[in-house]
Amino acid sequence: MPQPVVRFTDERLPNGLRLIIAEDHAAPVAAVNIWYDVGSKHEEAGKTGFAHLFEHVMFQGSAHVKKAEHIALVQAAGGTMNGTTWLDRTNYYETMPSHQLELALWLEADRMGSLLDALSQENLDNQREVVKNEKRWSYDNRPYGSWNEKLFAHLYPPDHPYHHPTIGSMEDLDAASVEDVGGFFRTYYAPNNAVLSIVGDVDPPQARAWVERYFGGIAANPAIPPLGDLSLPAVLGEERRETVHDKVELPRIYWGFRAPAFGDERLDALDLAGHILAGGRGSRLHRRLVRDERIAQDVALFALGFVGGASIVAGWATVRPGVPVERVEAAFMEELERFADELVSDDELARAKALTEADELGALQRVEERADRLSMYAMLFDDPDLINRMLARYLSVTAERVREVAAQVFRPDNRVVLTYLPEPDPAATVSKPVDESETAASADTEVAA
Amino acid sequence: MSPIVATRPTPGTPRPYDFPPFERTRLANGLSVIAVHIPGRELISATLLLRNGAAGEPAEHAGATVMAARALSEGTERYDAIALTEATERLGASLHAEAGWDALSAGVDVPVSRLGAALELLAEMAGRPTFPESEVERLRDERLNDLLQARADPRRRVEEAFSATIFSAASPYHRPAGGRRETVHGLDPAALRAAYRRGFDPARMTLIVGGDLVGIDVPALSADLFGGWSAAAEAAPSDPPIADPALSERLVRVVHRPGAVQTEIRIGHIGMARRIPDFHAVSVMATILGGLFNSRLNMKLREEKGYTYGSGASFDLRRAPGPFAARAAVNTEVTVPAIVDMLGELTRMRDARVTDGELRGARDFLIGVFPLRFETPGPVVGALAGIVTHDLPDDELKRYRPSIEAVTVDDVQRAAVEHVLPDRAAIVLVGDADAFAAELEAAGVGRVIIEREGMAPTDDSSPPDAGAGPIEGAPESDRADVD
Repeated sequence: MPQPVVRFTDERLPNGLRLIIAEDHAAPVAAVNIWYDVGSKHEEAGKTGFAHLFEHVMFQGSAHVKKAEHIALVQAAGGTMNGTTWLDRTNYYETMPSHQLELALWLEADRMGSLLDALSQENLDNQREVVKNEKRWSYDNRPYGSWNEKLFAHLYPPDHPYHHPTIGSMEDLDAASVEDVGGFFRTYYAPNNAVLSIVGDVDPPQARAWVERYFGGIAANPAIPPLGDLSLPAVLGEERRETVHDKVELPRIYWGFRAPAFGDERLDALDLAGHILAGGRGSRLHRRLVRDERIAQDVALFALGFVGGASIVAGWATVRPGVPVERVEAAFMEELERFADELVSDDELARAKALTEADELGALQRVEERADRLSMYAMLFDDPDLINRMLARYLSVTAERVREVAAQVFRPDNRVVLTYLPEPDPAATVSKPVDESETAASADTEVAA
Repeated sequence: MSPIVATRPTPGTPRPYDFPPFERTRLANGLSVIAVHIPGRELISATLLLRNGAAGEPAEHAGATVMAARALSEGTERYDAIALTEATERLGASLHAEAGWDALSAGVDVPVSRLGAALELLAEMAGRPTFPESEVERLRDERLNDLLQARADPRRRVEEAFSATIFSAASPYHRPAGGRRETVHGLDPAALRAAYRRGFDPARMTLIVGGDLVGIDVPALSADLFGGWSAAAEAAPSDPPIADPALSERLVRVVHRPGAVQTEIRIGHIGMARRIPDFHAVSVMATILGGLFNSRLNMKLREEKGYTYGSGASFDLRRAPGPFAARAAVNTEVTVPAIVDMLGELTRMRDARVTDGELRGARDFLIGVFPLRFETPGPVVGALAGIVTHDLPDDELKRYRPSIEAVTVDDVQRAAVEHVLPDRAAIVLVGDADAFAAELEAAGVGRVIIEREGMAPTDDSSPPDAGAGPIEGAPESDRADVD
């Protein structure tokens, strides 16, 4: 079925800010989205987590906006907003009732132009504690919470900027200073390092005039340091394995593979492979491990695209109680290897494409998603029109192509295997196998006055 | 070039907005059909709503309704699970079914060009499920494993412990909607079929279809596919359940999780049902207390103290009064000061009138985000399902924005005094009790109960209830302390 075309304009302000506007009056809603070309890959050793901590500081006020007022103003205008940090970028976005578009543009411009006017040690310290609690909540106090940090650390060498996690380490977060924040801002938060997309119920000449008025006076940084060479061998070169004891009830195996960089058409084939292998109840891994053999509680397999050097294909299987971990690992790998040997059927490929088509249609219904993709394709590939061509790329993938790419990626010398096992139970070491009465006896209930 | 512009812009003129108009018809067999045309939205969302949820199932079959919904796609008279999935995927559609406390819904999302074929599959799944023995057995084992997984997840543990603490054992809300180990173990095809058929009466079912419906006669299409259905023999309306409190005084319940770097905190009590006259005042009040980023709770605990990544509060609105909880996950060392601050904000919500600025901010947010919520068909259909589930009038969504606009400072305070009751709150924690127990007792916020447990057996061959620790199935002796 025909996919709606996203029509947009693409231009640059004299200070280098790239501006993309896409008009659509279906709903009285306008999305504003800024990508800055800075992510955790720009962090130096000893300063991990800094790009993300900085993203929090962006909500602590600027010359004409008080601490936390950015969010208060957006919400009182009936809008939603957030900011996110990832390896290749940091983005900030607002979705507004369309008559409030100008406010969102003014707020983004104020912090791009004058963040340091409002920066204080107190606000930095406060957000450092918030981020440490974000790390505890998202990773440290979550079952299997360390998996992605471990996969990245194995798949990228220690001197590669994708080696460390975006959330950073507690020590580095503690060491971040107000001077670091200032330097980071002056270096990377410049209009010539950003893409601004505006999508929805907008009048393009009016939106452009507002952008010129609010962003036009912000100075470019002519000396943004280039990133080093991120290229990597296509294949890891060895199998790497790690066993992790965690506060979990069921064992789980994670796999990670080095894969072609984001933007490489081979990654499109891997996205479809993810659908065919683990994309739902009809997928191969789900059918075999969960439904037929009943050795796994759940399975997953998906690509995480990065532009520098290599992407990741990651997957997992949660092992059912009483099932040997090795059996699940063997069955999972067998399916991946079979995938690399034999062509997928026409029907499997057609189903994966039909689902991809519906996913694209669903995602592009929302102005927030359209704005984010325009910013993304413009920044990472200098090609915002990819928003209109990605679906055709997916639909042109052949079974032969899927097999070929799978054979390049799903190799024993290109994989990391993490095995999560329940921590040994301290009670069980004292009292042999745990049975019902011992469980009850160890449920010690203290009652205090 | 101009310098940075200091003047904050003023808003333009809002574009008029109304919740999309919808048309309701009734088929000859009693099935209600709601069609909602949303121009330009070619991914259609359709939901068939059965008004019997987990709250109405017999206690000994707790979990049957949620599992019955899952089992619908596991086999029908014409298709086994794989064939049904493959037929759906060929359409680029996703077919799903889920149940909550108040209703069971079966739905499909599909590009408009294949709507007819997708509705045919929906009718097959919802009208002719077979609940195959072997698949039900697998779903049952998966739920038992899921209950094990829940024990390892601090967020799920604290939510389940909180519900088990505030609701009396006579209320279904005391347990998870998916059931506990001891009841899930006994679920079989007969129990699932019975749970499903309780709600299977076309006269009490509604089909809602939303999206760009130009040229599509939804009532005629529905009549072909659903018009031949008749009520199951077991069908019976379900009343709102008992929602009695278990507590009459402040109580602190700690689930010990040795070495935890954060404490999950829930403070609250039984709240209110969805269908109450002061719904809009309570919405504004809850938004100020714990809904906005700049809510009182988040500003205090996150932006002032740095104790947490986020704190909020909300009412879970069901047919009978559901839980009201203030929430935060805080680093272990600040557990007790965080509790004191949260209680302080609950008390201040009752005692101090909100400012005009707070009132305006909350009202404008709720009014302003309303159109944003309904950009795509899924949420529009979901909101209409809510109207049906809670017996609300057809103009409820049309009246939403004027009703929020009319809420006053006095209304907010009345709502807080009536619905926020810190003196009768349960304080439920999942965290490292050894790190804060003494400080917690010294703080005098309430009687403290600490639950310590050994790890549950993870061996599938264990007796069915061996894994029931104090969270999933508190031993009766523990529960007596709570009552």
